[in-house]
Amino acid sequence: MTGDLLGIPWAVLLILLPLIGGLACFLLPSLSKSLGLLCALAILVAVGGLGWQLAENGAQRYAIGGWGAPLGIDLYADGLSLLMLVMAALVGLGVSVYSSAYFNGDKARHFWPLWLFLWAALNALFLSADIFNLYVTLELLGLAAVALVALAGGADALNAAMRYLLVSLLGSLFYLLGVALIYHGFGSVDIAILAQRIEPSPAAWSAVGLMSAGLLLKTALFPMHFWLPAAHASAPAPVSALLSALVVKAPFYILLRLWLEIFSPTGAAPGQLLGQLLGLLGAAAVLWGGIQALRQTRLKLLIAYSTVAQLGYLFLAFPLGTSIAWKGVFYLLLSHALAKAAMFMAAGNILYFCGHDRITDLDGVAQRLPLTLAAFSLAGVSIMGLPPSGGFVAKWLLLETALRSGQWWWAAILILGGLLAAAYIFQVIGHAFTQADAPAETGLVPARMEWTAVMFAFAAILLGFFATDAFELIGIGAPTSGVSGG
Amino acid sequence: MTDNQQTGKAFRLLLVLLLSAIAGWLAYAVLALSSSPAGLGEQVVTHLDTSGVGNPVTAVLLNFRGYDTLLEMAVLLVALLGVWSLGGIADYRESPPGPVLDTLSRLLVPVLILVAAYLLWVGADAPGGAFQAGSVLGAAGVLLLLSGWRLGNRFAGLLLRAVLVLGLGLFVIAGTGLFLIGGAFLEYPPSLAGGLILLIEAAATMTIGATLAALFLGNRPRVEPDK
Repeated sequence: MTGDLLGIPWAVLLILLPLIGGLACFLLPSLSKSLGLLCALAILVAVGGLGWQLAENGAQRYAIGGWGAPLGIDLYADGLSLLMLVMAALVGLGVSVYSSAYFNGDKARHFWPLWLFLWAALNALFLSADIFNLYVTLELLGLAAVALVALAGGADALNAAMRYLLVSLLGSLFYLLGVALIYHGFGSVDIAILAQRIEPSPAAWSAVGLMSAGLLLKTALFPMHFWLPAAHASAPAPVSALLSALVVKAPFYILLRLWLEIFSPTGAAPGQLLGQLLGLLGAAAVLWGGIQALRQTRLKLLIAYSTVAQLGYLFLAFPLGTSIAWKGVFYLLLSHALAKAAMFMAAGNILYFCGHDRITDLDGVAQRLPLTLAAFSLAGVSIMGLPPSGGFVAKWLLLETALRSGQWWWAAILILGGLLAAAYIFQVIGHAFTQADAPAETGLVPARMEWTAVMFAFAAILLGFFATDAFELIGIGAPTSGVSGG
Repeated sequence: MTDNQQTGKAFRLLLVLLLSAIAGWLAYAVLALSSSPAGLGEQVVTHLDTSGVGNPVTAVLLNFRGYDTLLEMAVLLVALLGVWSLGGIADYRESPPGPVLDTLSRLLVPVLILVAAYLLWVGADAPGGAFQAGSVLGAAGVLLLLSGWRLGNRFAGLLLRAVLVLGLGLFVIAGTGLFLIGGAFLEYPPSLAGGLILLIEAAATMTIGATLAALFLGNRPRVEPDK
């Protein structure tokens, strides 16, 4: 029996389940809520199955169509893919529960199929071992994300969605041009084969530049973050949570894979230089995002700028380059996803309750929405990087590497970023605790929406206690074996 | 004011210089490429006889890299979902078509459907296939929409949605079925490959045609209560 279960290609199921769910929701809109929730649970089971498979048998490769690379397309799952899939499954389940209360009527009819197709794109992306297939998943992801932003309706959301669409397409085209150059030069689009074949040449360097530029634009690394705050702030709350927690991480994941397996081993001086440049941009993002977040008057924009800052931390590992620094980044991916989902959901509840998200008018929220405010504050603990949260573990690992390698300036950035985060989060909490003069006209927030936010915030804190087990799972298949210094 | 204009001008000049430098480097990189690309052409030809079709392009799109095409079908559906979720624009049925458009569309639409069927069939061994056939079918749909034709109430609901998901749905069902009978996902047995590919392509043609025409119309056809 266990042998049978281990033989199931869970990776394929992880892509098929949301695809079938999306089709079913589109076909039968009246059932879409139950179908969507069912699908979210099934995906969680499938991720569990894949995790078990990886723990028993190590990293997995699956040849779709039975052809195998380089002719066909391979799926590849190791600890890093598992981390991303777990992240998507957890956030996905929470967002599904939250959305089942948030969206109704015509909006729900459009939301469910788009969201499940977005999930299919994410799972397919995290499992792909083929750089052209990755382009196709990026297209699916981008289109679904843009449509979900536009779901909010109104001029702001439509403008933001249009800009997001253009940026997303531009990024995809940069990436595709790089893929074309690589295929011409080295005759394969499979990452593992390319890792062996690739050698420095003008075409290879152009491809590295083009693909990195396209992916950085989609990940919104400073100064290419200009589209993010508007898109993430004007989307409906559960969609904002999805975008900040998952969608921006997807192009980063591709960059990470390419960097760890193809670009970095080709090494030499230009690679070092590019790593330093990414680190510098990341540092600028941490500071700029933090300062901009402090200056915002609207809660959702503040959270969106906080995403810009937190994304910056992810790039600090490029100049550090050791496997401990990468571990920190992997943990930050997960803890930021949980904390930021909690924050956007909390902001959604406040918006639902008060009808606005002006920070200075949040008086009385602490008395009326204690659960929501607790969720926001606990998530804030992880975003600031205070112990015992997941964010603390991640930033501690980065800090330790920076100090040990004598590059103290990255450590200074980490500390400054934490202080800025504390400043903008306490600003919100301070206003929320102000006594309301006159009770304003308010709506009622469904319990499901409050509890989901609290669960995510708790999960982000609890993550700090499970770091050792988590790193053991992430280490399956040694995703960072290409880098120096164990 | 003039200062602003001058900085704007300088900035634009800088942008042009930067972009020219990038374009120059890319041109150099492309010129430095070897003239004999290290592609997979030979491998495709070697495996062509087990792929079920004689046209290498169709073999790559529907068999060797069929998974990419499956995801592309999902992209097409998501594009339509996105357009429908925007709410659409007011219908522009008002002006009746002129006699030329009316007569021509009656003549052309049957021919276009025939051409689509031919392109689909010939795709197995020559240039053609589901995407080309689907585009021709889509053009026929656009022509019909322009001449004032609209989908009847009876077909605008579940039936239309069924046609729109048919391509992706059949692809997924075929792939899953093959993997339930013991192969890999989307692994066609060589004896069945030709038939399966034709079936998947036929479904994809109808879906692509319907999707393109629906994209042209913009809004989701609403099922209106009978008057």
